[in-house]
Amino acid sequence: MTDRPSDKGLPDPDIEAAEYVLGTLPHAERVAFARALATDVGLQAAVARWQAHLAPLDDTTPEVAPPAGLWLRIRAAVAPATEDGRVKDLTRSLRRWRMGAIGASALAAGLALALGLGRFLPADPEAGQYVAVVNRGGELPALVVRVDTRRGLAEVRSVAMDVPREKSLELWYIADGGAPRSLGLVEPGRASMPMPNAVRDVAGLDKAVLAVTVEPSGGAPGGVPTGPVVYSGKLFRD
Amino acid sequence: MANDVLHRDASLQARLAAVAGGDQAALKALYDETAAKLFGVVLRIVRHREAAEDVLQDVYLRIWQNAATYEPTAGRPITWMCAIARNRAIDRVRARKETPVTDLVDGEDWMNQVPDPYDGESDVLDRGALAHCLGRFDDLHRQCLVLAYCEGFSREELAARFDRPVNTIKTWLHRGLASLRSCLEANA
Repeated sequence: MTDRPSDKGLPDPDIEAAEYVLGTLPHAERVAFARALATDVGLQAAVARWQAHLAPLDDTTPEVAPPAGLWLRIRAAVAPATEDGRVKDLTRSLRRWRMGAIGASALAAGLALALGLGRFLPADPEAGQYVAVVNRGGELPALVVRVDTRRGLAEVRSVAMDVPREKSLELWYIADGGAPRSLGLVEPGRASMPMPNAVRDVAGLDKAVLAVTVEPSGGAPGGVPTGPVVYSGKLFRD
Repeated sequence: MANDVLHRDASLQARLAAVAGGDQAALKALYDETAAKLFGVVLRIVRHREAAEDVLQDVYLRIWQNAATYEPTAGRPITWMCAIARNRAIDRVRARKETPVTDLVDGEDWMNQVPDPYDGESDVLDRGALAHCLGRFDDLHRQCLVLAYCEGFSREELAARFDRPVNTIKTWLHRGLASLRSCLEANA
């Protein structure tokens, strides 16, 4: 057998590459390896070699047809935002929410709460502060979102929120008639999210809507919402 | 047989090149040709249908974004795509706090499939060499490699499965991979 570095107890990058391909590196080592892999052509070659070595095992795995709707999700995610049917759907559903909110008593509770909350918050028109109570279909509000245009922050307070397993909740900002822009993931420990510049500069926050969608763990991959809208709410001037 | 493989590889390479140029129709064609295979790979590791669908969506978004980085000289296109699928699936199960160590699908013993002679198109690949080399392994060492690759088992899960300390599993894996390398090089 050839004399390998591992035989002397030294780390062997080629075996590390093999374990990376195999998937058995501990998480921290896996992350570090993936980072090194991005720039190290030697590692890239080693990984490609091991992938080719082990690829025959892929053929032992039976094929399984994915559900028919999956392609539509992928197409929605790769399509330009303006042609994206899902974004239109989202915008439409939000419009429906806004129109429905005028009359729907269930939603009115949420609206009243938003207005009521507004009274408790320090009113400072110069501070550029907005607040939204993000509801789920007229049930109790789940999120209170304050948008501070001066500081460029969206502050999120979670009142009651169920995060589905292996999913992330993502907060979107939708300017009047515009495409949704991600403000980030809604996470228990995360109180404030910086807003993209484009959102800060947008006039007409009064007409803006916030929505929360269920996305794959880690957030919508293509920067556009892919999952169902679970919460939505309108911004009110605080 | 070999021509079939070469023909399919050339076809997938052409699709990937078109996808790299932003051709959505090519992505659809690529999806139609490969989704069942990649979904099988992902599902076997993730073992949860809904999560596997999310992973598969992410896999094709990555293929869409990274098609330009595919190097035909570095390997077959389907190997490149399977590697993305396996990596995303493993990242997903590692990100979970607890990974359920469930029994294999239908109780089927995948290991038995490995040393078997394979049908058709594989002859141009080093599948025969892999099967030959794995066939020389101790059963447990082979099972470790196959469970890790095909089912996404972590070292800890392998340790639990074989009732051995994690360090023993690590040693098995390293020795197994090193002797696999020697054997494949000798048979190349």
